[in-house]
Amino acid sequence: MSKKYEKPVIIKVDFTMASKYGSPLKTQKVRSEIDDVNVRDLVEKFGSPLFVYSQRAIENKYNEFKEAFTSRYPDTQFWWSYKTNYLDAICKVFHKLGSKAEVVSEFEYEKARTLGIEGKDIIFNGPYKPKDALKKAVEEGAKIHIDHWYEINDLEEIAKELGKEIPVAIRCNMNTGVYPQWSRFGFNIDNGEAMDAIKRIFEGKKLILTGLHSHIGTFMLSAAAYGAEVRKLIELKNMIEENFGYEIEYIDIGGGFASKNRLKGVYQSPEVIVPSADEYAEAITNAIFEFNKGKLPKLYLETGRALIDEAGYLLTSVWAGKRMPDGKKSYIVDAGVNLLYTAFWYNFDIALDKRYEGLNEPSMINGPLCMNIDVISENIMLPPLNRGSVLSIWPVGAYNVTQSMQFIRYRPRIVLIDKDSNPHLIKEADDLDYVREKEILPEYLK
Amino acid sequence: MDKIKLFFKPYVSILFLRDFKAGFVLFLLSFLLPSVGLLGIVAIISTIAFAEIAGVREHYLKYGFYLYNSLLVGMGVGYFFDVSLLSVILTSILAVLTFLISFGLNRMFINFALPILSFPFAIVSMLFYLASLKYNSLVTNILHRVPLFDMNLPFSAFFKSMGTIFFLPYNIAGLIISLIILFYSRILFFLAVIGFIAGVWVHSFFIPFNASLNSFYNFNFILISMALGGIFLIPNIRSYVIAIIAVILSVILIDAFVVFFNLYLLPVYTLPFNMITTLFILLASIGYKYFNYFIKGTPEKSLEYYLSNIFRFGGKDIKINLPFSGKWSVYQAFDDEWTHKGEYKYAYDFVIKINNKTHQNEGTLLEDYYAFGEPVLAPISGYVVAMRDDLEDNFIGNVDRINNWGNYIIIKSLDGTFYVEISHLMKNSITVKVGDYVQMGQIIGKCGNSGYSPEPHIHIQVQFSPVLGSKTVPFKFMDYIKGNKLYYYSLPKKDEEIEATIVDKTIRIRFNFILDDSFIYEIYENNEKIDEIKFSVKMNEKGEFYFTDGENRLYFYLSEKMFYFYEYDGGKSYLKEIFKLSPRIPLINKNIVYKDILPVNIIKGFEKYLIEFLLSFNYNLFNKPIEYEKKPLEIVSKFGKVTFSFYEKGFKTIEFKNKKLILRNEK
Repeated sequence: MSKKYEKPVIIKVDFTMASKYGSPLKTQKVRSEIDDVNVRDLVEKFGSPLFVYSQRAIENKYNEFKEAFTSRYPDTQFWWSYKTNYLDAICKVFHKLGSKAEVVSEFEYEKARTLGIEGKDIIFNGPYKPKDALKKAVEEGAKIHIDHWYEINDLEEIAKELGKEIPVAIRCNMNTGVYPQWSRFGFNIDNGEAMDAIKRIFEGKKLILTGLHSHIGTFMLSAAAYGAEVRKLIELKNMIEENFGYEIEYIDIGGGFASKNRLKGVYQSPEVIVPSADEYAEAITNAIFEFNKGKLPKLYLETGRALIDEAGYLLTSVWAGKRMPDGKKSYIVDAGVNLLYTAFWYNFDIALDKRYEGLNEPSMINGPLCMNIDVISENIMLPPLNRGSVLSIWPVGAYNVTQSMQFIRYRPRIVLIDKDSNPHLIKEADDLDYVREKEILPEYLK
Repeated sequence: MDKIKLFFKPYVSILFLRDFKAGFVLFLLSFLLPSVGLLGIVAIISTIAFAEIAGVREHYLKYGFYLYNSLLVGMGVGYFFDVSLLSVILTSILAVLTFLISFGLNRMFINFALPILSFPFAIVSMLFYLASLKYNSLVTNILHRVPLFDMNLPFSAFFKSMGTIFFLPYNIAGLIISLIILFYSRILFFLAVIGFIAGVWVHSFFIPFNASLNSFYNFNFILISMALGGIFLIPNIRSYVIAIIAVILSVILIDAFVVFFNLYLLPVYTLPFNMITTLFILLASIGYKYFNYFIKGTPEKSLEYYLSNIFRFGGKDIKINLPFSGKWSVYQAFDDEWTHKGEYKYAYDFVIKINNKTHQNEGTLLEDYYAFGEPVLAPISGYVVAMRDDLEDNFIGNVDRINNWGNYIIIKSLDGTFYVEISHLMKNSITVKVGDYVQMGQIIGKCGNSGYSPEPHIHIQVQFSPVLGSKTVPFKFMDYIKGNKLYYYSLPKKDEEIEATIVDKTIRIRFNFILDDSFIYEIYENNEKIDEIKFSVKMNEKGEFYFTDGENRLYFYLSEKMFYFYEYDGGKSYLKEIFKLSPRIPLINKNIVYKDILPVNIIKGFEKYLIEFLLSFNYNLFNKPIEYEKKPLEIVSKFGKVTFSFYEKGFKTIEFKNKKLILRNEK
């Protein structure tokens, strides 16, 4: 085989010293298979770009977290956070593993119900719960987490209409020592608002408080912040049980656990800074044991990202290469930020499908959109790639599918690889009919 | 009741036993010679009275020897003199003197951790005899001394010797004493017999057999043999041989003492026993493997305690926890092929393997390795004495030959006896600093690839010095799970995948019993309620906690990783069944199978007497593991099962045979 011609260039490389990863000019990151399935075969069979989910990775991760929590605190329940990824197949995998559902809109609620989840196994969260959706959820026994004062009124009216008391939880926010503090949702504990809300609920005599919920943030790199959160929730629980006679059955500490993704602007690798499931579990359960008085509550978790992010890959193919005016190599690939919403804050782990000839050079990966912002990686060391080279972008399991846009291009197919390494198509690509389906062209324009 | 027990205890203490009921029998027996019985009482009462006046009550309560030495002196007086005002006064005086000498001797002996045995009695007896040479008013009863009752028996020489211990050198006394010993301890009885035979036999080399057989001082053989073979050393063949050697040595000592002291008309009594036994204890205490550090009520109990400690709780080995959570594989074990050699052979290396590989992708990058960045946990509670975490993690294919140990941490155990060293941690990952206290299981760093490390792994070793690179010493892991089996105090083999245990504190709360916690159970037989029973939590004078139903005691302990029963005192009872059903409860929320060994007296019926005795000849008879299966809220075994409630303390139900005990909810 003759060596491909590559136009000679002079590259200014200012970090030629061997780093801890070896020589940056030679080390190539190769990921030729996902769960024993060759990435090129996948692209060949299902097309490119292609989202790929690994059921093995989902189950391993879920079991890791479940083990970490239930081994320390048996009465722990996971509630799959629909907004993170509500593909039917993905939700089903989680439900089969024992996870219940956490939804934040009437759409998600209906999706969970269609998947066969009973109302009592759904937590209904979120600041916007339309009244008829709320009523339906109450009737079906869903766990309602109140976000604001208006919702107390709404629920009391519903209680009156239905002629029954409604068990509810309230969402709380607080200072846990991390920035930014999420204070937009629920009632503040620190300034006494949460206590006022509880008094209000108590005096209304229509609702029964059975749970406390909080969600302190997202991609939380500090396990200690959860310790602080649990402490405040438990102290509130103790106070409620003492003063109001409610029995708080559960505390829901929300989600926000980080995945092994690399945040932009963070120097250290995720292996170094992302706490393990055990670290989160240790901090959370220790705080319960330390501060709880009376009966131990059930522990609810709405973990989303940490469970699914690392199970998702996006395969994309190189379409063209360019040399930029500053000498940097640029590749145009068939997946862009329309599919990778999280590209704005993550530096993904991008791997090659095989080893390539040639030295690495600083390169840039751009998407197919005719938009300046369509950058997947601004600076990455890559060997010379060809049209058709497949890159696998990881971890992309969380939020990308739910937040991807039909913008400029059709959204791609999605595949789930089962535990026996068989790929299954779980979502078809968009097509013109799909995109136009809900469009209406008024008669006069025809 | 306690006062009555206190009174009868000295009688039985003379035989190294504890049950006051036997003391009562011996008390009655002492009236075989009424003067012995009466002056014995006088001695005990005088001692207690004096101790009360002097305000040292806790001393005679704490140490039995104050009373039994006085008792022996009193009985000794009664053996030679009738009861009279004079002999009563004399006994009182001598009893007080005995108390004082006991006290003084104890203050000295205690520095060497030695018991004072019956030294005070031997000394006071001599003092009295010396003094009595001048007293003409004391009339000895030696001419008309006869027991109230006696009989002819075979082995008369043995029984008489036995009786002499209580100044009752008669067949009937010896028989009853022998039966008491036999009833409580077959081992002691066996020792009494072989001690007697060995002593008499060796003595007969030097003097005529008849003289040897009937020597007044033969009881020393019995005492030495029992004390060494059964009490101060753990019973086994080696200890028995030592006891016999001691008996043989005493032959010469007795004769020497007899010749010497008889010049002054002094009795020798138990002096040879005291001297020989003390010398042997001194010798054994500095390192004899079977020295008995925990003397229990009988040699059988001491032995079972010792064997329980070895077979159930790992003996005196150094025990540490695994330095990680989750599943890891052994990369190198003790004395292994690459670096665990010579002085460094007692070390373990762990890696994480998935599908038999330690890395994903091609394994060219550190992040490809499953172990890289995983938390490292403190394997013991203790203090950090040294650490370093400024070394780079080597890229794959490179090792740091200068800083072999890489980033490391050394933790000193709480009792200060050993140090645990962990190596190759990730740069800047150690979360504690020198001087910090770390709690077992606390996250102290992350697994890295610094130092002489070809790929990310955890290296752990135990050493006796805080210096990096010290010689390693053997240790065991407290517990680990392999497959679905939970192992205690073991070492995994090379390439085995093991899983660390995580303490479920909700179980811990359910077994955190507090004094006076009480539990009422309804008892059902074939589903019909037949009775109720109440178990309460109490503490004994040594600070040990136990459950009691009023009569029997079941001792328990809650350690960091398990709740367990370790001793049972009593007869047939529901508590005994609980011991069988759940001798230990791992504080783990996992379905696992584990093994435990029950003390012989818990499992066996009548044959236990035979097994207990044979145990001293073969310790492996003890090692009969029973399999237990732990599910989230129950433990099942061939004996039945116990279940727990999620929110209540203790056992929810206790089921065995056709019986079922159900916890009655007090609310």
